[in-house]
Amino acid sequence: MKGYYRYFGKKMVWFFITLIVAFLLNFILPRLMPGDPVAVITQRATQGMTSAAAVQQVYKDYQELFGTNKPMLTQFILYLKNLAHGNLGVSFSQYPRPVADIIRASIGWTIGLQFPAIIIGWLIGNMLGALAAYLKGGYDKVLLPASIFASSLPAFGMAVIILVIFGVTLKWFPTSGGYGFDMIPNFSWGFIWSVIVHYQMPFWSIVLIIIGGQAIGMRSMCIYELNADYVKYSRFMGIKDWKIVRYVFRNAMLPQITGLALAIGTIVGGALVAEIIFSYPGLGSTTLAAVVGGDYPLISATTLIITLMVLIATFTIEILYGFIDPRIKAAQSEQ
Amino acid sequence: MKRTLRQVFHSPKFVVGFSIIMFVVLTVLIYPLFVRAAPLEIIARGTFFEPGIYINVFDSMGSPKYILNLDDAAAKRIASKLSDQERLDMKDWLVADGILEEDIDITDTKNLLDQWVKNYDPKKEIPGMTNARRNYFTRLNESLKGILSTEGAIIAAKNAQTGALEQTGTVAQTDYVNVSQVANKRLLLLGTDNFGRDVLTELVSATGVSLMIGIVAGLIATTIGLVLGLMAGYMGGWVDDVVMFFTNIFTVIPTFVLLILISFSIGQDKRGAVTIAVVIGFTSWVWTARAVRAQVVSLRNRDHVNLSRLSGHPTARIIFTDILPYIASYVIMALILQISSAILAEAALSVLGLGPRTTETPTLGLMMNWAMIYQAQILGKWWAYFPVLLVIALVSFSLNLMNTGLDQVYNPALRE
Amino acid sequence: MTTVMLEVKELTTKYITRYNEDVYAVDHVSLKVEEGKSLGIAGESGCGKSTLALSLMGYYFAPLHYTSGEIIVEGRNISGMDRDDVRKAILGKEISYIPQSAMNALNPTRKIINFIEDVLQAHDLYVTKKDIYDRARGLFETLGLPASVLQQYPVELSGGMKQRTVIAISVLLLPKVLIADEPSSALDVTSQKMVIKMLRQLMENGFISSLIFITHELPLLYNVTDDIMVMYAGQIVEKASAKEAVFDPLHPYSKGLMGSIIVPESGLRDVKLAAIPGVPPNLKNPPPGCRFAERCKYVRPECKVITVNPHELPGGRNYRCIIPEDELRAIYKKESVQHAR
Repeated sequence: MKGYYRYFGKKMVWFFITLIVAFLLNFILPRLMPGDPVAVITQRATQGMTSAAAVQQVYKDYQELFGTNKPMLTQFILYLKNLAHGNLGVSFSQYPRPVADIIRASIGWTIGLQFPAIIIGWLIGNMLGALAAYLKGGYDKVLLPASIFASSLPAFGMAVIILVIFGVTLKWFPTSGGYGFDMIPNFSWGFIWSVIVHYQMPFWSIVLIIIGGQAIGMRSMCIYELNADYVKYSRFMGIKDWKIVRYVFRNAMLPQITGLALAIGTIVGGALVAEIIFSYPGLGSTTLAAVVGGDYPLISATTLIITLMVLIATFTIEILYGFIDPRIKAAQSEQ
Repeated sequence: MKRTLRQVFHSPKFVVGFSIIMFVVLTVLIYPLFVRAAPLEIIARGTFFEPGIYINVFDSMGSPKYILNLDDAAAKRIASKLSDQERLDMKDWLVADGILEEDIDITDTKNLLDQWVKNYDPKKEIPGMTNARRNYFTRLNESLKGILSTEGAIIAAKNAQTGALEQTGTVAQTDYVNVSQVANKRLLLLGTDNFGRDVLTELVSATGVSLMIGIVAGLIATTIGLVLGLMAGYMGGWVDDVVMFFTNIFTVIPTFVLLILISFSIGQDKRGAVTIAVVIGFTSWVWTARAVRAQVVSLRNRDHVNLSRLSGHPTARIIFTDILPYIASYVIMALILQISSAILAEAALSVLGLGPRTTETPTLGLMMNWAMIYQAQILGKWWAYFPVLLVIALVSFSLNLMNTGLDQVYNPALRE
Repeated sequence: MTTVMLEVKELTTKYITRYNEDVYAVDHVSLKVEEGKSLGIAGESGCGKSTLALSLMGYYFAPLHYTSGEIIVEGRNISGMDRDDVRKAILGKEISYIPQSAMNALNPTRKIINFIEDVLQAHDLYVTKKDIYDRARGLFETLGLPASVLQQYPVELSGGMKQRTVIAISVLLLPKVLIADEPSSALDVTSQKMVIKMLRQLMENGFISSLIFITHELPLLYNVTDDIMVMYAGQIVEKASAKEAVFDPLHPYSKGLMGSIIVPESGLRDVKLAAIPGVPPNLKNPPPGCRFAERCKYVRPECKVITVNPHELPGGRNYRCIIPEDELRAIYKKESVQHAR
């Protein structure tokens, strides 16, 4: 384990640096927006008030509340302090609901949908790609164009197609929501079943898109590995084909894992848009609502949470990779 | 150079991809020459008109009439007027009246009508039938009578002075007009969208805008990536460290998050198509920079580069003459990929509502966004979203195909 | 009477290209290697020597196909044998192979000892892990490789170390014939020497019964092998003892190869370095007659027309040329005298 410290240490440092940059960006960018959101809220809250002085007071109060009357640096420190307490501010569009509350409601749905979808999609996609490289022939001829097509579609495209075919035409699945409209979240079987049914289409849309992307990559990697020198030598030393195939897959998987770490940002982004197509009650729809409502605390928070999720996922994968690739272990113990 | 071009154009994947995208580009360029309508012009009152040829009824009344005696004209007329539900109802009545079910074929209009005319009697008592239903059948019978008659229609206009209706002409059931003689008609190959705009014209214009955004963003991203990659790869040292530092951070922070934040911050007013293109370009250079840097690093220690260095050539010149030509193929592939991903990025942004302003030009993403907001998918109005999706997929697919083809040319190991 | 370890008779194998054309890379090759002896095969790049090496193993996979001829290993005819039997009984056990670029021959994500276990397992020789480890360690130490190598990954070894590891693994099952395909080409001079020393040691200590050494560096063979065969365009053009091949080559091609080597000796300054002009023929449509005719200095009209078969000489020597032995020697002598002037 000792040898790993250096590897992990480096990764941890990067994690924190990136985290800080993410906080900075999330703080600064929305605040560059022209216009004064506080004025908008004030206007909404003071409709009907006639006294100019009273309106001014309300405005000042809101400024105090949102902290827009202080210099940037103070605001930033305040922001970080609030974050540490889990306070993400108050939503403009759903005032006075706290942002943290809104996010808490939707994050579960997003993670529950995307996390399994990405893993399963990755696994199936890589298996199909590997098989295509190994079996060649007819199977490959079908898989390759299908994968190229699937990977050319944007995520929401696949979502729309699945929605139309299975939801609208065949009417097998409901077309929107995370659960039936008439239901209130509870732990009864009826509710759970409703959730499962609503889960299918968004889930399979994401899975199919990921399969498309992974299959092609894995197929190329495997073809490349199958032509490697060590395959020929292993053959000449009499090692059986299926064992060699296991070697090849193991070696081809490694860059695929790295690839996943790099691509996870894009994958999550696409999946979020897919959520919107299905009006799934996850972060995607929350972001859309925030944009439509001009709600910058909410936007700031959702982007921050999304960034955090992606960061955590990326670094987890990188750490896992350190365990899986024996060369890393070897390189570390050498030092 | 010529040989490379020849090789490239021999690769089937490249040629197919190239042809598709060229076809799209040509359509975008040539279409407006023939169809002068403005893409965002609202021409329909009402939403989601189906695709078809729309002929002005008023004009056809005034156009020269021709008499054609076609056998099945009457049957077709009746068939189009009689809905499925009505046929089922007629069948129900006949069965209740005692006609055997096997003898009734609701798809055979003529026979169905014959049976109806023979048997229907408003005075007959059918057990279990409510009053309302009985009235329904009476009305149905009346309307059928109207269909079955062979009289034409009368055109009348109000007399300007007396206000009374005066007959100005007749329209017989055998009157036909020649479509080319009707003054006003509009071919709506893809119907209209929710606002009442011609989808086809909109689509062509949107494709052009999206392509433009893709190219601009792709060029910006590739240029930034190329410059940064060259600097980091060739100069090494602290330049490399700084560039890699930023690149690593931006690899992990998802680009679309940046896009959302920036687009949102710019605000609705400032978001033109070009602005969005620039924003996309400035946030997606990361991958290209990394790839270019890797290539440059591997080239840095090649003999010809060392030779130039020893000869005292200035750095800029070395980069241009010794390194660039070797990575040129790579850069072109990167450019194609950037264009492709930029188009998709814009589409995703627009679906979120953060794309270019909705009032000036349509983009592919915007059309998807409108279709989605107005629930075109659920209502089954396929023409509002399916062609858009097809174009997006086609553009993306052809660019990817071109790229794979190029990859096979430059990397023989991948050839099948 | 020494046992013949490997005898090859008129072996012909071909490649089938993607356009379904046949390329006969190995054309009616015959050779014989006896116990305790080593044979060197020399020729320029592309002459078919690597293909010959692969063909000798008896294990073919696309696009390489067996056409005709016999391969007899210690009296046992293996040509036409079932692939799976070849894999189990022959590969690595009777005939073993050291690939050209041994650097990349090892699976980067597998420890050496694990790979060795796989090899033994494939030949149904799996005993306990401890036995395998002891056996491997014994072999490695005998060959001068530290036992620690066994627990390492290929990435942790230097180039020369990897090459020697591959050689050790190849002889693990004590093959009768070891085919070394350019084992030293990718190494620095010091490592080259170590590799050759190792191969000689293997023969002396009985780990292998015979050796076939393939290279494009002719002078190397003089110090390594007993006999030398020169290959050109898929055919063997000369076979002789090492001394004869280097100092008294008969075939014009062999002569040309030796003539392009600088041998430090007195009078060197006056000797002109002769290169052989031209390129080898395309094996898709080999020319009728002698394949070297295009580039031969002494070409005669008949050369391009009649099929030239090996001309046998006493002592097991042969060369593929229609010009009689003494005539060739006379021509060569005249030339060297001219050069000396």
